[in-house]
Amino acid sequence: MHTIDEIMKILAEVKPGLSAGPDDELVRTGLLDSVEIMSVVMALAEEFDLEISPLDLKEENFHTANAILALVNRLEA
Amino acid sequence: MTLKTWQKNGLRMVAFLLVLLMLVLAVGHYLMPQSNRYLEGYTAGGILGEDFDTIDVLVLGDSNAAQGIAPMKWYDEHGITGYTYAAGWMSMYNLYYRLKQIYEEQNPQVVVLCTAPAYTKKGSETTMQSALGDIADELLPLLRFHDNWKYLTPGNLLTEKDYSWRDVNKGYTPITDVAGRPNTDYMYDTGVSEPIPLLVQFYMQRILQLCADHDSQVVLITVPAAVGWNLARHNGIAAFAEANDVPYVDFNMADQNPGIDWTTDTADGGTHLNWLGAQKVTEALGNYLLTHYDLEDHRGQDGYESWDGDAQTYRDQRTDIQTRVTQNAGIV
Amino acid sequence: MAYNSFPYLCIFLPLCWLAWALLPQRYRPVALLGGSLVFYWLMAGTYTVWLLLAAALTWALGLWLGRLQDLQAATTPALDPGARKAAKKSFTALQKSLVAGGSVALLGLLVWLKYLPFLVRTANSLLARLPMGWQIATPTLVQPVGLSFFTLMAISYLVDVRRGTTRPAVHYWQVLLYLSFWPHVVEGPFDRWGQISPALLDPPKPDYRAFTFGVQRILWGMMKKLILADRANMYVKAVFDDWTQYSGAAVVVGTLLYTLQLYAEFSGCMDMVVGAAECFGVPLAENFRQPFFSRSIGEFWRRWHITLGAWLREYLFQPVIVSKPMLRFGKWCNTRFGAALGRSLPVWAGLLLTWLAIGLWHGAGWLYVVYGLYYFFLQWLGQAAEPTLLRLLPRLPQWREHRIYRLWQVARTFVLVNLGMLLFRANGTRAALDMLASLRRPYTDSLLIKLDIRDLWVLAVGALVLLAVDLLHERGVSIRATLAARPLPLRWAVYCGGMLAVMIFGAYGDNYDPAAFIYAQF
Repeated sequence: MHTIDEIMKILAEVKPGLSAGPDDELVRTGLLDSVEIMSVVMALAEEFDLEISPLDLKEENFHTANAILALVNRLEA
Repeated sequence: MTLKTWQKNGLRMVAFLLVLLMLVLAVGHYLMPQSNRYLEGYTAGGILGEDFDTIDVLVLGDSNAAQGIAPMKWYDEHGITGYTYAAGWMSMYNLYYRLKQIYEEQNPQVVVLCTAPAYTKKGSETTMQSALGDIADELLPLLRFHDNWKYLTPGNLLTEKDYSWRDVNKGYTPITDVAGRPNTDYMYDTGVSEPIPLLVQFYMQRILQLCADHDSQVVLITVPAAVGWNLARHNGIAAFAEANDVPYVDFNMADQNPGIDWTTDTADGGTHLNWLGAQKVTEALGNYLLTHYDLEDHRGQDGYESWDGDAQTYRDQRTDIQTRVTQNAGIV
Repeated sequence: MAYNSFPYLCIFLPLCWLAWALLPQRYRPVALLGGSLVFYWLMAGTYTVWLLLAAALTWALGLWLGRLQDLQAATTPALDPGARKAAKKSFTALQKSLVAGGSVALLGLLVWLKYLPFLVRTANSLLARLPMGWQIATPTLVQPVGLSFFTLMAISYLVDVRRGTTRPAVHYWQVLLYLSFWPHVVEGPFDRWGQISPALLDPPKPDYRAFTFGVQRILWGMMKKLILADRANMYVKAVFDDWTQYSGAAVVVGTLLYTLQLYAEFSGCMDMVVGAAECFGVPLAENFRQPFFSRSIGEFWRRWHITLGAWLREYLFQPVIVSKPMLRFGKWCNTRFGAALGRSLPVWAGLLLTWLAIGLWHGAGWLYVVYGLYYFFLQWLGQAAEPTLLRLLPRLPQWREHRIYRLWQVARTFVLVNLGMLLFRANGTRAALDMLASLRRPYTDSLLIKLDIRDLWVLAVGALVLLAVDLLHERGVSIRATLAARPLPLRWAVYCGGMLAVMIFGAYGDNYDPAAFIYAQF
């Protein structure tokens, strides 16, 4: 199991200066665009050695930091 | 009786369309030009300014006719009253509806139908599109005159339209430019015939019928045009003429040629005639009309004062035009 | 039969609607399919055979995929875990190869008919540098109407079925109807099977309100196309065909007018097709969301031609990035260049591919490659400059919340998009650069090219109306619903006014050149 801090750290690396809490909306507010989301995906794949399928690239899996955490935990299970 | 919802909605749609139609007709009428001078290209609109039932020969055609047939020459020499109702891109659909309007005021003895419009079509359109477009234009004046909003000014918003303008040249536009071409044989036999599109044929037959209903005699003619006319088209028209039993005179054919010299008689390299060419064709067509029909000499008659006046103006201008065109043609 | 033509609007559409509304509910799809085939046949003639074949292939593969999934669901649960995993693997591999095979066949047809002349020309210019003097004869192929649209829709169908987000169609005619549905076959939008198939196959009851809303939307599209796009076209055509004749100011105005033309025309066409589908109760996807309020290039492309961007994102960009080779490439970059580049290089590679695809989708030619690269470069620059900008202007994040800064962003995006439009419309890359250089030419000559001052006024007022409507939409106002709540005389006045405006101010007739829809050629 991973912690939200790991996710927040990755988000901060991908988008410096991002000011969002674990439950803040990321996609619809435009804080992350589709390109940045893909950078997050790459970073996650690197960091946790995940296999991500195109089907996982849905908005609901990325709309908050906690949603990303849930996705990572699910993919690792 | 109570109406079902769909019936109510249907009625509402019909009512809306009626309101719209009335508005379209009203606005279309409003947007018609201030003067009949601008009703149509060239000076075709001038026919509305002519006195009631004065025209004996009505020529219908497109730009070839407007630059090729000069009715005032007939009046000047023989007292025949004619009018060339012709403008650029005029189609048989247009001509049918225009003829209907003309019959409201005039009752010509002879209708000369030029054949070029039978094949006139803009390259970008299909036959169906040009037919629908032209017929819609005729039924809904708003479509035909829609661009006239540009000529509305605070000064003329409410002025009444004046459709009494008369054309001295009776629908003909004298062109003094000369841009010749070699005298080649453009009517050589390729063995083919270009049939008139069916829809056009149908409208030509409607024109013939309309003329028959008004006891006008019809003759088909083709104004000389080295560019745009050929034997295949001649054959197409000849077949139509034979099938519908109307005479056909093609001034492009060697045996009918009024002596057109393409090095001097065209204004634009063979598409349209200039004054010199028009004189020859008008002369030849006039002779044809005199020999085949019993046309009255109206010169000096009561009710033709305006014609005699216009004839005088025509004679005053003629020398000047003649000089300019012969200079342009290099004929001294 | 163009969407703005008299036969389509006054004959085809009413007849189809009547047939659709009068048929019993279960036969209504027949009216849609019949209408679509007649429509396509009138546009493409014998080329209809390509559409029929593409639909047949898509249908058969979809059915096969569905059977495999059913078989997998029926057989694997009984297996022990090890065998289940192996079975799953081979099922997945088989399905993937089916989708890949289908996509290659469909794309092959697209490449063959649309890109072959371009490929041959490119090959010839390379061959010309070789001493052998070999040349290949350039083929002349006619691209059937809507080829690039139904090909991509067919691929999205196959991928969606394989991913399990939608069930495959049972009958051939269902797939054929989806691909050939006349409102979207010529210019899109790219609709997903899952989104529109319920309304296509199990049509709702004819609804008066939906019908009137659809007609209103068609009218709005007609206004954009006939009053603005076709009028601007005259000016644009003159300037872009012969730019050396005109002043720098004319080039600027021509470019702005081209942007207006393309927006009015493409979004107007979408209004006409979405409106037409609305009459039949089919919810087509929206292709525009007030693009000129975008604050960045990326945002612009999420609001302009939305369904093309979405298609490429879902079926090209994302799958490419999470593909195994790309993940390996990411790891390699990570060890070589560090974490930051390790996660961004693969994304940029995917993005470059996507932009090239967008460019080439618009046409087979180097100009379109440059067009795609232009936007790629802008997007890359925006991201690459971000850290530096933040260091130089530490207060930038706060400024970005400010209204004035947002306005600056919108203006900046507008200018960049206009440069892209100049590139897009110019007769070749060299011409585009030359036109840019001509901006330094004197700004003295008359700006009245092909149009008189009254036409320019119509364009200016029309652009303002467009802006006002977009502003209302941006604020979430539904204009049609608002209007529907008003009393009848007011509503009728508005509708009659709109129709009269099209008839009076439409740029049709002898004084204007008719212009075909631009996106129908892509």
